[in-house]
Amino acid sequence: MAAPSAFPGAPGPPDAPVPTGAPVLPARSPATGSASAPAAPGRPLTATLFRAPVDRRTWSAYLYLAVAAPIGLAAFVTLAVASFFGALLAVTLVGIPLLALVVLGAREYGVLPRALARELLGEHVEAPRRRSARKVGFFPWLQASLGDLDGWRAIAFVVVSFPVTVVGAWVVTVATGMALALLTYPAYWYLFDPTQTDENGVARDSAMQFGEFYIDTWPRALLVSAAGLAAMFVVPWFARGFAMLDGLLVRWLLGPTRISERVEDLEATRAHAVDDSAATLRRIERDLHDGTQARLVALAMQLDMAKERLTAGDATADDPDVARARELLDEAHRNATGAITELRDVTRSIHPPALDRGLDEALATLASRSGVPARVETRLAVRPSPAIETIAYYCVAELLTNVAKHSGASGASVTVADRDGALVLRVHDDGRGGATVVPGGGLAGLQDRVRTVDGRLTRASPPGGPTVATVELPLGA
Amino acid sequence: MRVTIAEDSAVLREGLAGLLAERGFEVVAAVPDAVALRAAVEADVPDVAVVDIRMPPTHTDEGLRAAIELRQRFPTLAVLVFSQYVETRYAAELLAERSDGVGYLLKDRVAHVSEFVAAVERVAAGGTALDPEVVTQLMAASRRTDGLDALTPREREVLALMAEGRSNTAIATELVVTPRAVEKHVGNIFTKLDLPESGTDHRRVLAVLRYLRS
Repeated sequence: MAAPSAFPGAPGPPDAPVPTGAPVLPARSPATGSASAPAAPGRPLTATLFRAPVDRRTWSAYLYLAVAAPIGLAAFVTLAVASFFGALLAVTLVGIPLLALVVLGAREYGVLPRALARELLGEHVEAPRRRSARKVGFFPWLQASLGDLDGWRAIAFVVVSFPVTVVGAWVVTVATGMALALLTYPAYWYLFDPTQTDENGVARDSAMQFGEFYIDTWPRALLVSAAGLAAMFVVPWFARGFAMLDGLLVRWLLGPTRISERVEDLEATRAHAVDDSAATLRRIERDLHDGTQARLVALAMQLDMAKERLTAGDATADDPDVARARELLDEAHRNATGAITELRDVTRSIHPPALDRGLDEALATLASRSGVPARVETRLAVRPSPAIETIAYYCVAELLTNVAKHSGASGASVTVADRDGALVLRVHDDGRGGATVVPGGGLAGLQDRVRTVDGRLTRASPPGGPTVATVELPLGA
Repeated sequence: MRVTIAEDSAVLREGLAGLLAERGFEVVAAVPDAVALRAAVEADVPDVAVVDIRMPPTHTDEGLRAAIELRQRFPTLAVLVFSQYVETRYAAELLAERSDGVGYLLKDRVAHVSEFVAAVERVAAGGTALDPEVVTQLMAASRRTDGLDALTPREREVLALMAEGRSNTAIATELVVTPRAVEKHVGNIFTKLDLPESGTDHRRVLAVLRYLRS
């Protein structure tokens, strides 16, 4: 597959593997309202050309260059100075954080060019998404900041955009000046009556020359003026061109990368899928409980009633048919009650009904049914989402089962608390330790489940014990 | 005995009505949810209400709420609630104030009709009926292991049956011993666990439960 196209406006191949940091290229550029669009659809070309000098988009482009150039200059200078000092001081401990601040600052600076592009060029570029900090602490921050791809892209923007805007502003100014000069030449020539000396020493009645061609007569002056007038219709396109180029830079370097947009999309859809599946399971459990379970109970009840009626009559006690019927009913009744128990176990594994009343209640029930005496302590300020609660519940269930089966512990304790926006669950047992994660086992399954919500499951189990399993689940996803 | 039934599954509701009618109860009303239950009891107070804990609209514990509320409003009303799963908290909430005329059974118990009907009769008569499964869980979860360990196996059996709300006679029948033997065991239990003296059967249920949950 070819690499994504680098030309503006051309769509990249949709399924090509995109290297990290590849710019987002819109398949359809936002045409309406953008200063880069040459013509509104349907408008004849001549009308566009004639409207150019007074078109709103032209003046937006002028204004854009007028504002962006000095800002870009200031940003460039700041970047250069800060980087210089950062690099200089890198040998000491102060330099590295300074460089990290430069990267971060560049990312934040991006707000300004994006706003300019939005207001004046009609380019709507979203800010690149922030990566949420996984760990707190100085060195993680340092690492994250120095490695912040969006920050480096913003730095690239400052470096590249600066010449574009400055050169653009300069070119437009000079070109406009020249066009104006040409346009007003006849008036100047008439009013001020300038003279020039040509190489033969002859005085000429002109202020402008093109080689041997002196502009010293009315027709020639008017010709020059006409040229200036024509130029006035061309200069706007320089402005719009440079503005468009800078707008593209903003989109390339200050917007979210295609990868990050895809990640954002995937995270949203995954969260939806997780919540959806939790809701579905709840519904299934409810249907089974209310419908099927109740019906089985009614069945068993009626079988029991039949059994009793058959046992009641003494007159029929010797009838072999009756005896056989009683046996069958007995068995049927046992099957029915067995089915009730099995169904209950299945539904309990789908969705524990105790969860409806909260995690602390459900965990208390788990602890009371655990093979090992377990103490539960829950300290949650806010009730987590049902999906998170369910995962937490099954983590505790599986972990306690493991404790009961393998650890030989005399007691376990379960603590649940929220800390820094995450639910932290800890199961501690005083057993013999030395636990490992068996691939395909229950704990591996738990890890998979925990990872679907970007959680983590770790276990510290030195031989000889004690064992502590920790589960972290993000809240408010 | 007059009974009102609240159960959202139509099949089970009709089955219960049929069963209780067959066993000599007068079924005053059979309703599908907590709102209808309140209305039915207000209209015509029965001797006992048999209520499913989990009913529409939220399918959490409407039945329990309604049962507790109705008991407060109509002190003569006995209530037997049942649920699919054991929730020791439900038992605690039900028995919080009074333990007379209260029962909590697992739905499975309905499948053993004689036991179920006996429990309804016991509750309607002012006694207590706790599902054996509930008692088992309470005893297993109890932190009073030292006290419970001091009991002999037979005494533990008697304790469990006491917690279910059975009378001494009933316990004697169940364990196939004489009532005198049962009385002796009960006396020993009260001494070993240092339980307060309680006159009636349902009061001692409270005493035992308080002990187990402490």
